[in-house]
Amino acid sequence: MLRRRRLTTALSALALASTLVLTLGLAGCGPDEEAVPVDLSRREEPVPAVPKRGLTYAYLPQYAHAVSYRRHRLLVEYLSKAVGMPMRQVFPNTFDEHVKMVSRGEIDISFSNPFVYLRLADYGARAFARIIEPSGKPDFRGQIISRKDDSSITALADCRGKRWMAVDPSSAGGYLFALGEFYDQGIRREDFAEIGFAPGPGGKQEKTVLAVYSGTWDVGSIREGTLAVLADRIDLDRIRVLAETRAYPSWVYAARPGLDPDIVRKIAKAMFALSISRPDDAVILQTANIRGIIQADDADYDSVRELVEKLGLSQEAAQ
Amino acid sequence: MNPHIVSRLSFRSKINLGIVLILLCFAGPVIWLATDMAARELMNEIKAKGAILAENLAVQVTDSMLAGDLLRLKNMVDEIAAVDDINYAFIQDAEGRVQASSYAGGFPVELKTINAAPEDGGTSVRLLKTSGADGELIYDFAAPVIISGARFGQARLGLSRTRHEARIGRLAAAMAGVAGAALCLAVVASTLFARRVSARINVLREHAEEVVRGNLDLRAGSPLKKNCWEIMQCGLLSCPAHGDAERRCWRLAGTMCPNCRDKTPRDKEESCLNCEVYKQNKGDEIQDLAETFDVMSAALKARLAELRDAQASIAGQERLLRVILDATPDHVSLLDADLRYLAVNRAYAGFLGLPPSEILGRADREFFPPEEARAREEEFLGVLASGKAFHKEAEIVRDGRRGWYHILIAQAPGPREGAALLRTDREVTEVRRYREQLIQAQKMESVGKLAGGVAHEINTPLGVILGYAQLLLDDVPEDAQMHEDLKAIEKQTLVCRDIVADLLKFSRRGDDRRRPVSLNDTLREAVGLAGRSFANQRIRLELDLPEEEMIVAADPERLKQVWINFLNNARDAIGENGLVAVTARKTPDGRAEAVFADTGSGIAPENLKMVFDPFFTTKPVGSGTGLGLAVSYGIIKDYGGELAVTSPAPEGVFAVRTPEGAAPGPGSVFTAVLPIAAQGSKDMPRNEEG
Repeated sequence: MLRRRRLTTALSALALASTLVLTLGLAGCGPDEEAVPVDLSRREEPVPAVPKRGLTYAYLPQYAHAVSYRRHRLLVEYLSKAVGMPMRQVFPNTFDEHVKMVSRGEIDISFSNPFVYLRLADYGARAFARIIEPSGKPDFRGQIISRKDDSSITALADCRGKRWMAVDPSSAGGYLFALGEFYDQGIRREDFAEIGFAPGPGGKQEKTVLAVYSGTWDVGSIREGTLAVLADRIDLDRIRVLAETRAYPSWVYAARPGLDPDIVRKIAKAMFALSISRPDDAVILQTANIRGIIQADDADYDSVRELVEKLGLSQEAAQ
Repeated sequence: MNPHIVSRLSFRSKINLGIVLILLCFAGPVIWLATDMAARELMNEIKAKGAILAENLAVQVTDSMLAGDLLRLKNMVDEIAAVDDINYAFIQDAEGRVQASSYAGGFPVELKTINAAPEDGGTSVRLLKTSGADGELIYDFAAPVIISGARFGQARLGLSRTRHEARIGRLAAAMAGVAGAALCLAVVASTLFARRVSARINVLREHAEEVVRGNLDLRAGSPLKKNCWEIMQCGLLSCPAHGDAERRCWRLAGTMCPNCRDKTPRDKEESCLNCEVYKQNKGDEIQDLAETFDVMSAALKARLAELRDAQASIAGQERLLRVILDATPDHVSLLDADLRYLAVNRAYAGFLGLPPSEILGRADREFFPPEEARAREEEFLGVLASGKAFHKEAEIVRDGRRGWYHILIAQAPGPREGAALLRTDREVTEVRRYREQLIQAQKMESVGKLAGGVAHEINTPLGVILGYAQLLLDDVPEDAQMHEDLKAIEKQTLVCRDIVADLLKFSRRGDDRRRPVSLNDTLREAVGLAGRSFANQRIRLELDLPEEEMIVAADPERLKQVWINFLNNARDAIGENGLVAVTARKTPDGRAEAVFADTGSGIAPENLKMVFDPFFTTKPVGSGTGLGLAVSYGIIKDYGGELAVTSPAPEGVFAVRTPEGAAPGPGSVFTAVLPIAAQGSKDMPRNEEG
């Protein structure tokens, strides 16, 4: 009897051992691939890339840098050729950084909204061109939106006491123009339960629409054309446009203070030469999401200045 | 494995071995397959994961690259490299310069160019093996950073394959552990199962061993929890299954359940399948085997009992036959065709003077002289050849003992193949003696009748002769010659008349007035009558009678006649000067004995057998009729007694009492033995008579 029990134990042990050996033996066999030997011990200190010389071009970072790059790459290449000087895009991360880089001379050509331009102008930058919006007009509006299913907001006056999301404190179409519209309607900033701004960086216009669309915020303010960008991604029928602001001059090209006026002239000339009717130019313009570029000067933006003044934002902007 | 080793394994070990082998055959390929699939899946997964991470990194870094934000780039690569299985991450610009890397002190030079994202987009994966003894395997992923169709550089990251293989190893070990545990559980379960099964088989085996040892009363089947009559609640007390807890009802004939009435056990297996009793009490194959075994041992027990009875009966009969055979005084023997003894009875063994065991298998030539043995063999062979029984009467002498035997040899069927010979030797010595005596008696009866007839016819003429002779005597003077002649006629006629009277006595036995009479008295009277003539011949007559009276039933005259015959014979045998001793006694067997011994000339041995025959006499003509002893013999026999004669007289009979000067002959002794009728004083018969 004892001998049989030993035999049983031995059988169990043998079975267990063979299972383990088999399994571990098999587990070692992975898919066979040829490995390239590499020596990680040989090291070197990385050499930092030296920025290229040439003109710098910056697009106010209202979108992601990649979007900014994609939109303006062809235009920058065109201008570089036209001017005969290397030109590259630089990408400040924020509006403030954009403004500061212009003031520091790190951005030669700035493409910004009218509200930011006022701050750039304060640093000595001067407008020399402005774009024709995709709508075909050299100006643009802001829009105030809410959800259609929100029956408590059917008119601008209903926005009082509501939570408002704007694009950015420095946004023109997404904040400033709407603020002016509310002001004209007798609604002050303090009349809102809360004013918030879309989290950055990049895609802030779209985020504002989505914030209202999802019901997180009651009211939103965006520049015109933003809804069309989201047409394929959300059901626009659920968005109610409460009001559109009056039109203000469109986005503006400004040269930094101290940039050679000749270069500015050459650039302006090349810009004005672009025509949507020419296929090559059309590609450049459409990629940049503009219809054309026309001449402009600082006075064109007085209407915006007035609005800022009216709203008492000049002090804030200066800070 | 040696098949003999497997066949020697215990049943339990075989079950365990079988289950272990099944599990191994099952678990081995499954674990192998699962591990292999898991390894492949994991490898594919880490490749996909690495590619996605690299591509995500390439997308994430675009803004930072455009912005030249090296800090953010550094943060991003550090963040991604902090993930457990990622060895490194770095960003290269379009010229291959490292913009940011997760390496803190210096960047491995070889890493920069060892992998590059393909020109046509997509992510390149290369397997790297780091230098060193335990070099690590790393998948290097290179994803291009493309902005608006332009290549800005590439994001690279290294994912440790070695660490994933370790995970696969751990997975395999876990699976092996689970399989091992399952195996152990299976072995434990199979051991329990096998122990249960083998325990039941062992019960069967022990039962079988007990059966071999002759114990048929054990039960291998386990008792039922509920018997059929309890399940059915039938109350059929006369059903053969009711109360029988040992046998299953579907194995019994004549059960009275409505479901199975009038069905044989063979049909029942079919019809009982749906019966509740069958469902509840039907066991597994081992249970069936055990129950069948029980049925078998019960049947075996019954058969054995029958066999024992039959054996006892046969043994009884054999004993009986042996007793009969041994009890018979006949010599019975059975021989085979080679004339060797197959069987002998006790009488024959005693005849040969050997125990039966030493006789069987041997032949006659080993027991008999060659001549006799040959003669016996010829008789046997003759019977074997003819097939007919042989019988004869022969005298056989063995160890000095002589005897007549009636021999019968017959052919008999042998116990096996071939014929056997049965020989029976029946001793007929006594029969022959009786037969001779019968012939003698018949002869005497014929002679008696003849003599009687003759005597009767002669008696009358004799009377006439005697009468006329006496008449003439009266007429003839006494001195005349004629008177003398007539006297002679008268005398011889008287002799003849005596002879005729004896003949008549012999034939008719006369008138028998039988009554109780004292033997001693008859002897005394006879001796008194004869005594006077004895003295003249100087013959001494001695009478020695016991005090005790011996009463016999007889006619005293006839008895006296016998005694006087004996005394006359003695006197004639002695002649002169001798002794006659008459003694009487009671024999040990309670009879009365009268002995007449004389010192006479005795009787020749050849005449001893004939002395009681009628007309046998050795006396000269005219001295005796030869009827005296024959008549005496007839009288004693008539009274249920015996008469014997011995000659010469045994030594010592007369040694002391022989008279001086006498020349004793060989002598003879006549002994008559009579049954005693009653005992008492010698006056009793007279009283009865008076």
